[in-house]
Amino acid sequence: MAKHPVALTVNGDEHDLLIEPRKTLLAVLRDTIGLTGTKEGCSTGDCGACTVIVDGKAVTSCMVLGVTVSGKEITTIEGLASDGELHPVQQAFIDTGGYQCGFCTPGFIMASKVLIDEDPDRSEEEFRHALGGNICRCTGYTKILEAVLKAAKQIRTST
Amino acid sequence: MSEYSVVGQKVTRVDAVEKVTGAAQYGADVHPPGMLYGKIVRSKHAHANIRSIDTSEAEKLPGVRAIITQDDVPSGRRVFATDKVLYLGEPLAAVAATDPDIAEEAAELIKIDYEVLPVVQDVMESIKPSAPRLHGDDTKDGPNRREITGQIRELSRDKENDHSDAISKLEAELEKYADEVYYNISAESHSEAGDVEKGFAECDIVVEDTYVIPRVHQTYMEPHVSVASADSSGKVTVWASTQGPFAIRSGIAGTLGIPLTQINVIGTTMGGGFGGRFGVIITHVPAVLLSQKSGRPVRVQMTREEEFIDGRPAPGCVIKLKTGATKDGRILARQALAFWDSGSVSGASIGSTIRVRGVYKIPNLKIDAYGVHTNKSGTAAYRAPGAPQAIFAGESQLDEIAERIGMDPVKFRLMNMREEGDKVPAGGEEPKVGYKETLEAVADAAGWWDREADENQGWGVAVGDWTNGCGPGGVYVSVHEDGSVRIFHGSMDITGTDTAITQIIAEILTVPYESVTIRRGDTDSAPYSTGSGGSVVTFTMGNTAKLAAEDAHQRVLELASERLNANVENLELREGAVHIVSADPPKSISLGELAAYSLSTTGGPIVGKGSFARQPSTPALAAQIAKVEVDPETGRTRVLKLVASQDVGFAINPMAVEGQIEGGTVQGYAWAMMEEMQYNENGNVNPGFVDYRVPTSADLPTVESVIVEVPAPNGPYGAKGVGEPPITPTLATMANAVKDAIGVRINELPIKPEKVVDALKSNGH
Repeated sequence: MAKHPVALTVNGDEHDLLIEPRKTLLAVLRDTIGLTGTKEGCSTGDCGACTVIVDGKAVTSCMVLGVTVSGKEITTIEGLASDGELHPVQQAFIDTGGYQCGFCTPGFIMASKVLIDEDPDRSEEEFRHALGGNICRCTGYTKILEAVLKAAKQIRTST
Repeated sequence: MSEYSVVGQKVTRVDAVEKVTGAAQYGADVHPPGMLYGKIVRSKHAHANIRSIDTSEAEKLPGVRAIITQDDVPSGRRVFATDKVLYLGEPLAAVAATDPDIAEEAAELIKIDYEVLPVVQDVMESIKPSAPRLHGDDTKDGPNRREITGQIRELSRDKENDHSDAISKLEAELEKYADEVYYNISAESHSEAGDVEKGFAECDIVVEDTYVIPRVHQTYMEPHVSVASADSSGKVTVWASTQGPFAIRSGIAGTLGIPLTQINVIGTTMGGGFGGRFGVIITHVPAVLLSQKSGRPVRVQMTREEEFIDGRPAPGCVIKLKTGATKDGRILARQALAFWDSGSVSGASIGSTIRVRGVYKIPNLKIDAYGVHTNKSGTAAYRAPGAPQAIFAGESQLDEIAERIGMDPVKFRLMNMREEGDKVPAGGEEPKVGYKETLEAVADAAGWWDREADENQGWGVAVGDWTNGCGPGGVYVSVHEDGSVRIFHGSMDITGTDTAITQIIAEILTVPYESVTIRRGDTDSAPYSTGSGGSVVTFTMGNTAKLAAEDAHQRVLELASERLNANVENLELREGAVHIVSADPPKSISLGELAAYSLSTTGGPIVGKGSFARQPSTPALAAQIAKVEVDPETGRTRVLKLVASQDVGFAINPMAVEGQIEGGTVQGYAWAMMEEMQYNENGNVNPGFVDYRVPTSADLPTVESVIVEVPAPNGPYGAKGVGEPPITPTLATMANAVKDAIGVRINELPIKPEKVVDALKSNGH
């Protein structure tokens, strides 16, 4: 199948790639660039495990074709910590026990980061609904919500 | 409060940073150079004869490197179907190609010629002699029809209270086949204590009902995956997403006739398991075969749809249950007849039907259970296999009795619970277990005793029990010259068990938790370890770790005795150094100094070894209370409160224990209210998250967990397995709460809105 040139920025690094039009952004990140922190849980956009940030918005990368993100800035779970410091959302997931098997965790952290960036003043109920596109099978969500509320509070008070 | 400094503390898990940064390596993250992508070719029919399999078109597709069918299995053990398929999605062949999309294209080019056969999906249909037969005459020697109808007749006497007439219809149907034999019964299990007939005769109240529990999928978030690499010497390396690498090693060896030492299984970080990640055939064996044929590493990864059609989910079942009690609240007899849907192969957890007895003194008990074939994939364990189904029936019916005799459901349970020293039906005596403490704890925490309910609101309570398993394991502990400690073992971390092992060893060697690191070996390097299922790990590996640390501790004291010129009896290890007891001035030597010294001794380095197999554990009780509100218009049930207590023996890491309680409770909630694998004559019809709904954070409030600690005599620090118990009572907790809210009982799960609306209508609303 013919390949198309795609130029995109991932976690600050520029990539000039040739990719088949049928490849999803998830496949480009995992198989072409080798960033495997983003997970594939369903390939149908239902579980949120593949959530990444594209130009500031949370996106399920299994539902986006790689050829459509040329010129865009993408952040994956690998790009969240900076200067050896975990992002407050990552730290909050550790502190509250907001992960167990960890497979859904990258997607939850990316989705939570965007939600907190948009509005850190959301209530628990609002966060519960806003995170409804991400599935976790281990935690029952109690400690994930604790993590998100803790991170939101920290980000709110530090800005 | 604690006499311990590391165990019992909410420490940060050992895998924390790798899990939140995307660094943890799961099966699909393994990518050896030259790797090919495998795809399994699956049956498009639920029951069919196979006339032919034509791979010629697929072979021509550029990028295809190997195609295999059953002809490529040298051992002849069944990996792929040949002449007949028994369910939608059953594997028929597999392809390896240079790209996953090419592999998928090739799989679609393989032509299968089917002769479609009649399908049976319902156990109550499948046990009829007229049902389509899955295995020819193979199960002719199954139990004789007359015996089953006899039991059904006996259990069907009390028609008044029967909300489902499936069994009585069946009885009428069976009369037509007086001299025939059942063909689709795959297994049976029977047990009896006391005399149920006599017991029921002494009862003032007898209640009988039929409970229907659906097949549900474990729905671990990481689909099954394996990467296999067979080299030219015949050595096979498998990166496997599994709960039990050693079980996978022996499974591959047995299936393919490869010597154990020629197989190395590397367990990758596990994206959830819940009992469903032990299978060998699902991806591991096809990956090995494809790698052997292509000479390249091959990854076989299931899609979510493949998980639903060819995973090994939890069996559904139909349980006919009858319970009798006196009017002052003593349960005297209970009888169950259960039909478990084992799918196309036997193996459903039918023996768990015995769990209808619960934790109560029931002197007369009779259990008959059958595994029944249907045109579905086989089943596997799911968190306390079989217990949620049986306990749903048992605990739902207890509430019906409590209501008839006018007793509070909590008091009724407390009154009938077994106590320490009571005779256990299976033999022996009841150990000390916090049955009553746990139920009282949840009642207090939930505000049960002064509970209030507005219109359409209700409260439900239920309890469930489970005892952790045990199995062989080995652990090595090394102490290094800088005072750090390294653990080496082979058991898979199941959401926090590596952390518990690390805590135990830090505790015994009196070093900071942070100075202990843990490494898992593969099956080539690590000592044998039992699989991480059955809530075994903290109990088994915790005991193993304790033995290893105590062994190292002994060597430390010997070395210190030489260095400090003191008898071992006068030495004490605390805060990472060995001290002479009551020496003045104080005299001590650190673990690091002793480790450095050990290198120049004749005895050698500090290496502790722990090897352990089994000790009996004690049951763990989970008790839960829910408050719900039901919208009578839409039938939707909203959870207002969900409180879960559990007797965990001793919580080695309370944060991880809470996580297990919360997660298990929500899985139980989902089984009660949402989840159901649906089948028709074409097979599974809801193989995805849109149609098979699992809960999201929007579906539930915070789960309040309450830890109760009644130590298990043989557990490390008194710990019991905590993973499985919390799912066991929730199905009944929810059903009991809905009944309390709407006044109508729904015995067929899940309690979806349409069922609530129908139930209300049939009750005159």
